[in-house]
Amino acid sequence: MNSMDKVIEVYKRDVDLTLLDESLRRTPEERIRALQEFEVFREELQEAMKSKTK
Amino acid sequence: MTRFAELLAALDRARVDFILIGGVAAAAHGSPRATQDIDVVYSRKRDNLERLSGALAAYSPYLRGSPPGLPFALDKETLQAGLNFTLTTTLGWIDLLGEITGGGGYDDLIPHAVSIEIFGQTCRVLDLETLISTKRAAGRPKDFEALAELELIQSRKSSK
Repeated sequence: MNSMDKVIEVYKRDVDLTLLDESLRRTPEERIRALQEFEVFREELQEAMKSKTK
Repeated sequence: MTRFAELLAALDRARVDFILIGGVAAAAHGSPRATQDIDVVYSRKRDNLERLSGALAAYSPYLRGSPPGLPFALDKETLQAGLNFTLTTTLGWIDLLGEITGGGGYDDLIPHAVSIEIFGQTCRVLDLETLISTKRAAGRPKDFEALAELELIQSRKSSK
């Protein structure tokens, strides 16, 4: 096992398997739609942060 | 914000030969990781370069991160003269890759692509095994977390 393998193995310990399994239950189209929904949410969040009041 | 479905539809309408790779391909295979752009490997055949430039022409393609006002035009001559382009468009960010590390170009990757139905169109996506091997070949630290996820997806799929 090279050092890259070792690093990847360390990262595997922290992968949220519940998220992974939820995603695997979806179709590829549903997964990309979820990605799109997150993009919409991210943009809305950024807009909200720009106009935040203290 | 990148409008994934609309960008893919634009390429499909123009019958562009491309393979989806990167974060959107990873998402198609099951990764819950967010991404902000579409990465595609495109065929370098001349007629495909024409279709590709035509597909994006209506969406103001421009070099991402470059100062405004440069005399850039994404036409077939530009595509022919270059190889990899990171672009902004009015539909969002798209990376056009003529080749990828560890995978080569479109013709090399076609045997490693799978067809999926998304948004009413058939789209070629790099298979999970090759997505992993090319990310490994690139050896970029920023990919290591994604690789951990993809390898776990691979082991979960193979155990079913």
